[in-house]
Amino acid sequence: MIAALSSEWLKLRTTRTLFWLLVALSALMTLIVVAGVIGSQKHNISSAKDQLDLLGIGSLGIFIALIMGLIVSTGEFRHGTITPTLLATPSRSSIVIAKALAGMFFAVALVGLAEGLVALELAIALPAKGVDFAIHAGPAAGFIGRILIAAALWGALGSGIGIVLRNQIGAVVASFAWLFIAEGLIIAILHSNAINSNAGRFFPFQATGAILTNGSRNSADLLSTGSGIAALGGWMALFTIAAVVLLSRRDVS
Amino acid sequence: MIVVEDLRKRYGKTQAVDGLSFTVEPGRVVGFLGPNGAGKTTTLRILLGLVHANSGQATILGKRYSQLERPFCQVGAVLEASGFHPGRKARNHLRVLARAGHAPAKRVDEVLATVGLEGAAKKRVGGYSLGMRQRLALASALLGDPGVLILDEPANGLDPEGIRWLRDFLRSLAAEGRAVLVSSHVLSEVEQTVDEVVIINKGKLVAHGSVEELKRGKDGRVRVASPQAKALEKKLAKAGFVVTGDGEALLVAGATSAQVGEIAAASSLVLHELTPLATQLEDVFLDLTSEEKK
Repeated sequence: MIAALSSEWLKLRTTRTLFWLLVALSALMTLIVVAGVIGSQKHNISSAKDQLDLLGIGSLGIFIALIMGLIVSTGEFRHGTITPTLLATPSRSSIVIAKALAGMFFAVALVGLAEGLVALELAIALPAKGVDFAIHAGPAAGFIGRILIAAALWGALGSGIGIVLRNQIGAVVASFAWLFIAEGLIIAILHSNAINSNAGRFFPFQATGAILTNGSRNSADLLSTGSGIAALGGWMALFTIAAVVLLSRRDVS
Repeated sequence: MIVVEDLRKRYGKTQAVDGLSFTVEPGRVVGFLGPNGAGKTTTLRILLGLVHANSGQATILGKRYSQLERPFCQVGAVLEASGFHPGRKARNHLRVLARAGHAPAKRVDEVLATVGLEGAAKKRVGGYSLGMRQRLALASALLGDPGVLILDEPANGLDPEGIRWLRDFLRSLAAEGRAVLVSSHVLSEVEQTVDEVVIINKGKLVAHGSVEELKRGKDGRVRVASPQAKALEKKLAKAGFVVTGDGEALLVAGATSAQVGEIAAASSLVLHELTPLATQLEDVFLDLTSEEKK
């Protein structure tokens, strides 16, 4: 397992994928931070709470974490490297778990770097705008910690989804279609038919919202932060198990 | 040692491998031949644990591939020249595999030198020619310094110099006591490289033996010339060989030069010529596989 994990680590470091994902994420964060600070009135960004919301821009990195998890797995099928990977590590469950862990670690590293960049940019941009930097270390650390937990779970979830679906473009399209269309649609249907109005809270995007939102600001439609972590962790576990079962049963030809 | 025993694999309505059995002993290079769709690649992938057989056994060193203690260091495989990330440098591709397969890191540079890719080691694989990819695939197979090699069409994309190098290389591997199973459709190359051939068609074994045995069994002929041709013809016919020809030259079917020479010597008959007539492996292969099609 350690050898497989070490190999996954080396795989990601030896292509330019991670570098370009980091560049894309950094550019996106910078653009949003600069636009957010320049385009806002001073009184709208002066409180610690307002500035914590700006810090939350880094949570967009969760989508990049998902993409990275998908790439970790689907890249093997896209480039045919699954064959040498299986020859070097015949235990298919070890490969799935190593990829899930690699997805987690890289997601945390990527989103952590992006979040650090956002904090740095805010520390420069806010005083430049004439606003004091009011974010305190404690709340910021808690918020960033929740973002990193969500990123880790999405990285591993992406890896599982990637092995289940195998096709890279198909997996990216299906994942984002679920997040931005299907999940909301299903929740709306559940609500309108009064089938189970609470079930939607356990869906991945909603669970992520519960993780990212402070407990004091949780709306009635969201789970608590802890339950959100459990729900999203459940989805990750479900797709990881499905990936183990499917990869073990499938022929690689 | 490689053992395939009553192996069967079905894809939908297609029986890809149908009761196939053969063995490959250490120190032997065995050619694995068959027309397209005969089941060669499926058999090799079953041996390597990539494809699940419906029934039968496919073992290497007495175990299934996945049950070997350090499979990557015990069995080297070349299955296709496309299992590379185009954005990864060749040396890094090998480092990734060495790390996953528990092969020593120092082997990376050694195998790159062995296959003649040390100069292109830091080039991204996307810029490699087919021949270079084939060499890199071979380097991957050699990383763990394995005792068994399973190679699927390793000569694909190699230039004549590369093919000659591969031939000599496979022979040197066998001379070191390794078992080598090599599938190929370049029959003339196989003929010069292998000790034995396994020929399959429609998933079934058609023939297994040395190249010489197969040639002789199918169409072995010897041309012999003697001033005492009539007497020699009688002796050969008495020994059970079919003899044709007239005058001083005779054609003896199903015999080796040694057999003809010994019969002539035993009767004190003078020979002016004793020539085994070469039958190409390609002819044997086409005969065997076309017979199966009938």
